[in-house]
Amino acid sequence: MTPTSLDIERRHTAPILLISLGIIAVGLLLFVMNLCFGSVSIPFAEFIKDCYYSIRDSVMTVFDREWVCNEPSTYHTIIFEYRLPGAITALLAGIGLSVSGLLMQTLFRNPLADPSLLGISSGASLGVALVVLLAGSFGGIAVSTLALWSTYGVALAAFVGAFLVLLLILALSSQLKSMVSLVLVGIMIAYIAGSVTDILKFFSQKEVLHSFVIWGMGSFSNVSKAQLPFFAITVMVGTVGAFLLFKTLNLLLLGERYAENLGVNIRRSSMLIILVSGFLTAIITAFCGPIAFLGLAVPHIARFLFKSSDHKLLIPATAFLGMDLALFCNLIARLPSFESKLPVNSVTALIGAPIVLWVIFHRQKVLK
Amino acid sequence: MNEVLHTTDLLIGYKGQALMPEINVSLNEGDIVALAGPNGSGKTTLFKTLSASIKPIGGEVSLFGKKLQDYHPSERSSLFSLVLTEKPDDLFLKVFDIVAAGRYPHLGLLARLKAEDEQIIYDSLETVGISHLVNRNFVSLSDGEQQKVMIAKALVQDTPLIFMDEPAAFLDYPSKIELVNIMHKLSREKHKTILFSSHDLDLLLRHADVMWVVAPQQPLRQGTPKELVDQGIIDAYFKPIEAKKEFFWMNRE
Repeated sequence: MTPTSLDIERRHTAPILLISLGIIAVGLLLFVMNLCFGSVSIPFAEFIKDCYYSIRDSVMTVFDREWVCNEPSTYHTIIFEYRLPGAITALLAGIGLSVSGLLMQTLFRNPLADPSLLGISSGASLGVALVVLLAGSFGGIAVSTLALWSTYGVALAAFVGAFLVLLLILALSSQLKSMVSLVLVGIMIAYIAGSVTDILKFFSQKEVLHSFVIWGMGSFSNVSKAQLPFFAITVMVGTVGAFLLFKTLNLLLLGERYAENLGVNIRRSSMLIILVSGFLTAIITAFCGPIAFLGLAVPHIARFLFKSSDHKLLIPATAFLGMDLALFCNLIARLPSFESKLPVNSVTALIGAPIVLWVIFHRQKVLK
Repeated sequence: MNEVLHTTDLLIGYKGQALMPEINVSLNEGDIVALAGPNGSGKTTLFKTLSASIKPIGGEVSLFGKKLQDYHPSERSSLFSLVLTEKPDDLFLKVFDIVAAGRYPHLGLLARLKAEDEQIIYDSLETVGISHLVNRNFVSLSDGEQQKVMIAKALVQDTPLIFMDEPAAFLDYPSKIELVNIMHKLSREKHKTILFSSHDLDLLLRHADVMWVVAPQQPLRQGTPKELVDQGIIDAYFKPIEAKKEFFWMNRE
């Protein structure tokens, strides 16, 4: 007697729905905390009141032209002008970097791969170094610290640098046969970009150097309210693009020859994956500076929590977890006890590294 | 008998250097064919050529009456499937996920499994006898169990032809017998054509319907295992290289 298919129960080893709801709830909580906490703490009741007035006023003005808006409190400006863009930037950067890291880890079948692997963030750094440091050297400090440089100029320079490296990698990926060579080439490009950046730093003035170092520490508060829609749309496009690749990514997990036999064009697919991952990294590095560790840590946490390698589940899971972790890091970086913000880069590593260590030591249990 | 694959003056090798004289062989539907030869005799190269991983340096392979190169890669995925020695090593990859991936060529953009697809997956797991492992992590399985998962994946792919590269290489004796049984089941009940390779004179070879024997720079010889033994070809092709070296320690006593 052979059992029918009904006797074979396919069970997920992790309660997926429960974990997903938990992640989203934590995300919402962290988001509100991001808006309330900082150098000025806003009581939750005031926060709710302010939100209520804002929503009521914007709805009522549509229906009633005579409506008298509530006088905005001081809290209103802090929440909506300063903290909201920062929180949304953190959330988007978390999503994009984590998804980008997942793509790299799957493509190169290497758990240590992350968005900076192919030298794309080093390209961004070089771009910023060229603009900020050279402008500083030739035009004086005034030019390099102009408000213009701190927003569009720096972002544009970083994006151009990152994108040039990305194009170089894409061109090389069509020439190189093995993924290992591609990684090596990426690491070498990162070294070259890094040393050129260092040389530029060596020759620049102290004051100019300072603004470059600040950029390198990473920050979620550089995206202005006007830039936010552009940033949000590009990150979302990249993330949706990554999701559309989930079949290819799942097949690549089996190994290249199996994937090829199952209809994957290896060369074209790896170029697509590099393009999507590199695009996300380039955009986010341009606006937030090089943010370390999120892209490495979050995919591991997602795999561990959901006990799965299925990208159909893993890509959304990684995106939401990346959002949570980035919001958490942003919160820590702006703890009330610190007058100025901590560098996001050190906070992400400080929080990310122990989590990865914990995941590694608990992995044995999962594999049983 | 229906012909599945045949080669015409096929030359295999790398960089224009042929590994053996022209190959003219054919595969018939439902046959279990063993490709046997010592290491370094060109088995893997022939395998890769027949499965379109590398191009022939001369002659051609035709699959179901059409040249292999003329098929689009996505068409090939429904004609032949692979069982390889390289294995997935991702820690969280589940048996179900691997077998389901074999179904991808038949699925749409979102890879949603229909009831029919799930049925095929479960039937395949049943056929190779691993339905109890469906929720397990692939890396936690034994070599024999992993082999069966990859065979189930090939079955789900639903191709008339299955290539198995060294399927017995890492298996212990009971697993080899199980493998022989599975291969018989696939060929006799499901009319699959199976081409597998082996680098030593394994028990599997006795169960092949047809054997292709290769040795470095020797022509490929085709026949039933019995014919090839009777003609002394097995002896000639295997003995000088493998047997003497491997059993050298026995002669010392």
